[in-house]
Amino acid sequence: MLKKISIKKINDLAAALMEKGTLLAPVKEAAGHNFAEIKDPQQLDLDYYNTIVSPKTVFLPQKEDFVRYETAKPVAEAQPVALNIKATFLFGVRPCDAKSFQIMDIHFHASGIIDPYWQQRRDATVIFGSAFDLDIPAQDADFYQTLGIGAADPEGSDVFMVKKGEDLLMKAITPQGEEILARLAMLGEGKPADKKYFEEYIKKGSQHQTRNMCLDPQVIAKKLEDIFHSGEFWQAQSAACLSCGICTFVCPTCYCFDICDDTLFSRGVRRRVWDACMFTDFTLEASGHNPRTHVYQRLRQKVCHKYSFHVRKYGVISCVGCGRCTRYCPVNIDIYSIIQDAMKA
Amino acid sequence: MTDFKQIENNLKKEAKKLLESAEVPVVLAYTRGYDEKHPMPFAAKSVADVEKIVFNEYCNFNMARYIMRFPDAAKIAIAAKAADSRALVVLIQEEKVRREDLVILGIPASGMKDPKTDQLIDSRTTGGLYNPVEYDILLGEEIRGQKTVSPYAVLADYEAMDKEARWAFWKGQLDKCIRCYACRKACPMCYCDPCFIDQNKPRWADKAPQSPGNMMYHLTRFHHLAGRCIDCGECSRACPVGIPLYLFHKKVAKECEEMFGQAAGMKLEDKPVLVDFRVEDSDQILK
Amino acid sequence: MSFEPKILGIACNWCTYTGADLAGTTRLHYPQNLRVVRVMCSSRINPSFIFRAFQLGADGVLVGGCHPGDCHYNTGNLYARRRLAVTKKILEFAGLEPERFRVEWISASEGNKFAQVVTEFTAQIKELGPQQKLKIDELLEKI
Repeated sequence: MLKKISIKKINDLAAALMEKGTLLAPVKEAAGHNFAEIKDPQQLDLDYYNTIVSPKTVFLPQKEDFVRYETAKPVAEAQPVALNIKATFLFGVRPCDAKSFQIMDIHFHASGIIDPYWQQRRDATVIFGSAFDLDIPAQDADFYQTLGIGAADPEGSDVFMVKKGEDLLMKAITPQGEEILARLAMLGEGKPADKKYFEEYIKKGSQHQTRNMCLDPQVIAKKLEDIFHSGEFWQAQSAACLSCGICTFVCPTCYCFDICDDTLFSRGVRRRVWDACMFTDFTLEASGHNPRTHVYQRLRQKVCHKYSFHVRKYGVISCVGCGRCTRYCPVNIDIYSIIQDAMKA
Repeated sequence: MTDFKQIENNLKKEAKKLLESAEVPVVLAYTRGYDEKHPMPFAAKSVADVEKIVFNEYCNFNMARYIMRFPDAAKIAIAAKAADSRALVVLIQEEKVRREDLVILGIPASGMKDPKTDQLIDSRTTGGLYNPVEYDILLGEEIRGQKTVSPYAVLADYEAMDKEARWAFWKGQLDKCIRCYACRKACPMCYCDPCFIDQNKPRWADKAPQSPGNMMYHLTRFHHLAGRCIDCGECSRACPVGIPLYLFHKKVAKECEEMFGQAAGMKLEDKPVLVDFRVEDSDQILK
Repeated sequence: MSFEPKILGIACNWCTYTGADLAGTTRLHYPQNLRVVRVMCSSRINPSFIFRAFQLGADGVLVGGCHPGDCHYNTGNLYARRRLAVTKKILEFAGLEPERFRVEWISASEGNKFAQVVTEFTAQIKELGPQQKLKIDELLEKI
């Protein structure tokens, strides 16, 4: 099903989606765009490249409260925090990020242990993917082409959107997508010319140039295993690394978290908070021993987890080439260059 | 003013000399990142590494950050711009490194730019100095005759705000914080291990990025850097969500300078103001 | 019901705490809003104590130490003076109320001054009303 709407009327679409559920879309903030709930239809903005923090926040919020309790009372009286799931429309997800949800599903669903928080949110959400503008060259940091993702790749989206001049073409990719498009009365039918344009755009998208190298998951996994103990290589790669958490926090495929109890006087909350393998205390054990005390060990862990351990365990690279880690790194460490150097090492 | 290319050549020449002499095992400088516009901090450890050294207008990192990573090195050479040299002075004052263990390759530079915004880095976001305050070898001509603007001039608008507006401003800014801790990691003065915010006993704040914890982290960090912050602006440039931390640090630096008559990291023989006192300090400062 | 502020007092062991004792033994009257914590020296006070006190619901914080020159450890309060002056400036620039934070030098023999400072400060905090900017929301809900 292919529908279309004039970009001028995009606010009507926003209003209609807001009526049907929660609308989440990129909203302009001081430093750039970020996914946030749209409260006013006028807020919907199609003029962005990509968000600072990846849309994983929608399914795996940085802070998630599980249970509230009082320390003086029995455990049985602790109150689980209700999830309050509502129909959600995640609007304007870039193809690389849409793909990242499939990788994250491995950990929160497909590996057999289902995380109810992730899964319920995921089930209640319709993803409106949005192609990169092919007239604008990809940013220098991006390398999604290397990971086999096109700039207009509908995979992972329920509805995929492509701009055609003054119009926005919307194609249903999944049954959920079909359903929601059928319920949006303000959408016009796509003409055969639109259909042709849409198909060609997707084809053209796979040729859209980002940094690109030939990368076989098994080859890079093996290569990283071989150089795992090469302290020299990793020390050189991590010479600049500050060991902050930016790369993991903005990453669409980083999922590490910490369960912590935040108590205040006698009342407490048990919650999940993002953690980052780049933090010194990430691997700190209760005994005081820390197996990863050096920066190079932590950077190695991050790179090898994504490009080696993950491949060995699940068969896919846990990276989508969105370029966020490179773009926001305060010292310009670039995972693409590390992989390139690893291949040569 | 010596141009960037010339400074790069001088830097390479000196680095080569130092590494060849085997007296200095590490030269801290810059190298090319994934493109010209994105250089990276770099530790040259052999003569072969020297060719990788670059210097251009985007090399704004504070290299003093890396000085304590080489506990085994007898001597460290470090490329230091004005702010870096001030950071080194504070680290020497705090006995984190000894002056005689450093070879400071001073870089006089103006026209540095922030690669994210392409804005000129000047006294609006930093201390606005051009010449290093402490060096062994100067890699270019000293910069003279540049218009000097007080680094505190930018504060006027915020000082003029009323209390409620200022609270609304800072609460809004600090609520954005995602607690990636890039600010403290990019800061040459933040070397505590563990940082107070990572402590369990006592636990000062929640781990979750929400208002009370963010306030605690940032207010205390501003306090910990009082009289030590050398206004390099790295914390704000590192911040992925664009919190103007430099404003608060500037304000604290300004107050310290007014109360105690000393700016951070200007002279080796000074002591940071909060680990020092004068009997004649006035009680008026507490009013 | 009128507003009864909660005020945290942090008093040094040698002067202000003893001064408070003196105020007690001489049966001086002063408001009961002050909750005193004893520390060995005013320089033991971590500025985070003050931020944390406000977060945990204090409406005011009063720090008491020896007069400069009288410190039991010779120079402790001279460091504290500089440090707490900075704390005050930070509260001010963040748009918080620096008036809610007060430092006084009260010696062991100044029971009168202790009572007078507490009376004055309590009246001032009453005037300002409850401190809500830093107070943690969950605590606000409870109250």
